[in-house]
Amino acid sequence: MIDWKLVLEVIGILIYATFMGFIFMGIERKAMARIQRRVGPPIYQPIIDTLKLLGKKESVSHGFIYDFGPVFAMGASIAALLFIPIANFQLFSSNADLIVVAYLLEIPMLGIMLGAMSSGNPYSALGVQRGLLTMVAMQLPYGLALIALIQHWGTFKLSEIVALQQTQGWSILVPALFVAMIVFDIVFQAMLGLEPFDIVSAPAEISMGPMVEYGGKHAALLFTQHAIQLFAETAFFAVLFLGGASNLLELLIKQIAVLFIAIFVASIYPRFTIDQAAKFFWKWPTILGIIAVLLTV
Amino acid sequence: MSEMKEMRNENDGVISYELQEFKLFEPLFKWARKKSLWIVAFCTGCGGIEMPPLATARYDFERFGIMPNPAPRMGDLFLITGYVTPKTLKRIIITYEMMQDPKYILAHGSCPINGGVYWDSYNVVKQLDKYIPIDVAIAGCMPRAEAVMDGIMEIMRKIEDGTADGWKRYRENYEYYRKNQDELFGEGWREKDARRWLAWI
Amino acid sequence: MINELMIILFAPLIAGVVAWALDIKGIREAIGIIGAAIPLAYLVKLYPTIIENPIDYSITVSGFTLQFQLNTMSWYFAAVASLVGLAMAFGMAVTSRESYDWLFALMSFTGVLGVFLSQDFVGFFLLWELMTFASFMMVLRRNRHESLKYFVLSVIGAYAMLIAIGMLYAKTGALDFASIRQVLYMDAAMGTITTRETAIIFGLFLTAFGVKAGAVPLHVWAPGAYSETDQSYTAFFSGALSKAGAYGFLLLYILMGYKLYAAFGTFHNHLTFAYIIAWIGAITVVVASFLAVLQEDIRKLFAYSSVGQVGYILLAFGLGSTLGFAGGLFHVLSHAIFKGLFWLVTAAIILQTGKTQFKDMGGLAEKMPFTFAMGLIAVLSLAGIPPMAGFASKWLIYEAAISAHMPLVAGAIFLGSALAFAYVVRFLYAVWFGQRPSDLEDVKEAPLPLLIAMALLAIPNLVFGVAPGLVTQYINKILGGEVVGGDYYKLVTPTGTYNALLVTIALVIGLAIAGLVYIYGAKTRKIPVTNTYQSGNPVTEEFNLSIRRNFYKPLAEALEFWLKYSWDRFYERVAGMAEDFADSLRQAFYNGNVQSYSWYLAIVLLILALWGVL
Repeated sequence: MIDWKLVLEVIGILIYATFMGFIFMGIERKAMARIQRRVGPPIYQPIIDTLKLLGKKESVSHGFIYDFGPVFAMGASIAALLFIPIANFQLFSSNADLIVVAYLLEIPMLGIMLGAMSSGNPYSALGVQRGLLTMVAMQLPYGLALIALIQHWGTFKLSEIVALQQTQGWSILVPALFVAMIVFDIVFQAMLGLEPFDIVSAPAEISMGPMVEYGGKHAALLFTQHAIQLFAETAFFAVLFLGGASNLLELLIKQIAVLFIAIFVASIYPRFTIDQAAKFFWKWPTILGIIAVLLTV
Repeated sequence: MSEMKEMRNENDGVISYELQEFKLFEPLFKWARKKSLWIVAFCTGCGGIEMPPLATARYDFERFGIMPNPAPRMGDLFLITGYVTPKTLKRIIITYEMMQDPKYILAHGSCPINGGVYWDSYNVVKQLDKYIPIDVAIAGCMPRAEAVMDGIMEIMRKIEDGTADGWKRYRENYEYYRKNQDELFGEGWREKDARRWLAWI
Repeated sequence: MINELMIILFAPLIAGVVAWALDIKGIREAIGIIGAAIPLAYLVKLYPTIIENPIDYSITVSGFTLQFQLNTMSWYFAAVASLVGLAMAFGMAVTSRESYDWLFALMSFTGVLGVFLSQDFVGFFLLWELMTFASFMMVLRRNRHESLKYFVLSVIGAYAMLIAIGMLYAKTGALDFASIRQVLYMDAAMGTITTRETAIIFGLFLTAFGVKAGAVPLHVWAPGAYSETDQSYTAFFSGALSKAGAYGFLLLYILMGYKLYAAFGTFHNHLTFAYIIAWIGAITVVVASFLAVLQEDIRKLFAYSSVGQVGYILLAFGLGSTLGFAGGLFHVLSHAIFKGLFWLVTAAIILQTGKTQFKDMGGLAEKMPFTFAMGLIAVLSLAGIPPMAGFASKWLIYEAAISAHMPLVAGAIFLGSALAFAYVVRFLYAVWFGQRPSDLEDVKEAPLPLLIAMALLAIPNLVFGVAPGLVTQYINKILGGEVVGGDYYKLVTPTGTYNALLVTIALVIGLAIAGLVYIYGAKTRKIPVTNTYQSGNPVTEEFNLSIRRNFYKPLAEALEFWLKYSWDRFYERVAGMAEDFADSLRQAFYNGNVQSYSWYLAIVLLILALWGVL
């Protein structure tokens, strides 16, 4: 009854995604360091950080939801990952629907928010407020970009979107979808929590925002979650706009390309304030998004 | 009064909990602790100015996995960068107790060691080690970035051979540290200090 | 033998009257709960039969024949209303203090059921008004001003409906749905009813049903009325009564759909009249959700949220595709269960703390864990977190909106659901988490009947979330075709699939892995909320650590321009102007001078004489 091949694939992909996610985080730090003319940490530094956090001998808790939040966040990230077609591994993606995956990718946010709120720290609360407002602001252009994509390909199924792109060329080669890709890329910056939309954690203002009360194993969970999320989101981008991939190497190249754009943008822009971010998102990306959806109707 | 008691209990929780012992992966974690020291960004005194060259292109401590981190619960390394007044010391103690074991303290310059140029000041703590356990102290006024780097290397070495045990000492000799703190600030200083600021809010 | 339909219909009313007349504490609650349970019990009992052969019943009252029918669609709506009604009755057993509440709550229950079961406009209108009247009386008890607002808008809606019914009767000569439908269907080809008349009828019905559904700009009664009643009743008010409006829109399709299509044609491949409904829905979603985010009162927040969620239903119906209807019908159910649950949670909070403002609350999760768990289920469902009932219905609406090629409407759903996320998290934060005000130290868990009521609505949220096929397969029967395919756990539309069970499994796998990591780490030590990072400052309980007011201030700042305009203030101004005008008329004419009165008489007589009457 149990499909052992699927089980093995799931385990393999989970390990691979976690590892590569950490490496992506490392690339992010390394690239930032190189842009700032520093040597930068070794590329596997996030793994060390996470191990260290997990190895803390002490752990504090503000209550049940405080513990549940990071667990929920990481669980949801894993769930989201399983629905994305990763190269030739289909996992659960024969059932994957664009809307379902887009929602699953948002749930971790709720988990982090839940934990952060229950810590009762004002900085966390501010972080939660900023996170949600960023989400409110980015959701409209994000939605419009996805709608343009669905309208063009005429299907919600990720596997079919990939298959169509394999035969008819990548999404970004279609002019309307190129516009949608620009919108998506701007939103992507906010999804990854990078400048100019790193309003949520804003280390210099509100002490890491939602993460301020987290330490030890909770923080380790959140780091792992971030790694998986990073892998899932870059893969999502590659699947939607860059034609998916037929093997892991091809996917990796596309993911890293996406990641580097995000890093380059992040390293030259300062941070928006939250109301500026909202106004920005509701201006240019939304206008571009509307153009994209009207072109694909 | 009951609240006062509650405050103390909460504080006692810092030492009365049971530490987790990892058996299988302890060597791995030990290595990771050495390679990933996150600094609690808490700049006191004049030493804070030595941090920017350390963090930026010239010395770049990030290549050793060191990263400034504003949240103390995730931090490992507490840099005391210069002289400490009683008012600052209160914050240092509170932040230190918030950090999670294992945690390390690096004291910069002469002031935390013996008061330095402020040795006869009415308002500077002369020997920081009486109030919180220091793992490595760097002499000098001010120690240059190279010296700080050297201090950090020393901490790494001590973590490796297990002699960076300030957090253990704090737990074992808590009565001693507590007595010194109370002597300086008076009993129930947390409560009193918190109340001082209530009027301003 | 008495027909089952009459028992279903009048059991709540009779129970309400008996409870009111007896007015003995304990007994009236029991009677009320039994009265509310009877419709649900009968509906469940009748479930196997109605799919094959609908149950009819008609009575003749003074020349009018009232027809009632329990068919697949009315069963669905009636079952949703009865479920929420039963939960309401359990909730009211502890929250309501007087028999007055029981009488009118159960009266409106009868009204709602009647609206769903009626098959002709006489019964429909009478029971519609019964429902409106009873709910108005519920509001009147608490707040006169808000009840008047509700009353005025309801009266406008009622008149609009009456005129529309009159026009239809004049044109078709029939009052029962079947013949009206028949005549209008024929007329679509012949066109004896002009486009203009059709437009007027359409507009009037739109007003009538829009008021009840709380569509923007007719929503202004909803926040006040929803918040100023017994909160257990609001579960029904918002969960079931507003569905009467949505049902009305559906009725519009059934009765007039073809005629409206023939009269107005299409607009960019969309049915024009449906397009209007879709945009009303989309605007309702966005406006109400933005306003909900900025509320400072727990009841107002959920009131606006209700308006917004009913907007989803209108939007889905407005798409005009069968998939849209499926999504809308599913959302009728999921909105009823999650919003009913929300209101019961609110009732519990208000009952136990006596507070309604967010600024007075906080940290209640430890004090009321069960209520918190129920609230969390409602939050997850409303925010559309898979696998919850709220997600399944929202997913169908997404699919329908995008497949119907209405991108901007679909964009409104995206924005609306992000806003929904924002306001439910605000609710979570302000009520359950953070620092607890000192006067809430001895708050206790909600009483048992209320917990039963919550569980009654929470279980469907989970069950229909994991097995959405249960609902969609029934909806297929209503719509008469395989609109949403798949099995119990899997929904399949022509363009996409959603496998709720698989999502659940994936989440469980994820949670298990994360849980293992969590268990491996160091044991946790519980610390109080005051042991928190405040840049090293010591804090005590006296410090305010929560953002209690203006949580979304930056949003209000970003929206400053738009918030200057308000429908509420617009109506207030219109009301004020009408009052001033009437006042000046009164002062001008009734000036107390006998001489001028005799002049008026003379002028009137002169006019009449000139007209040739005298």
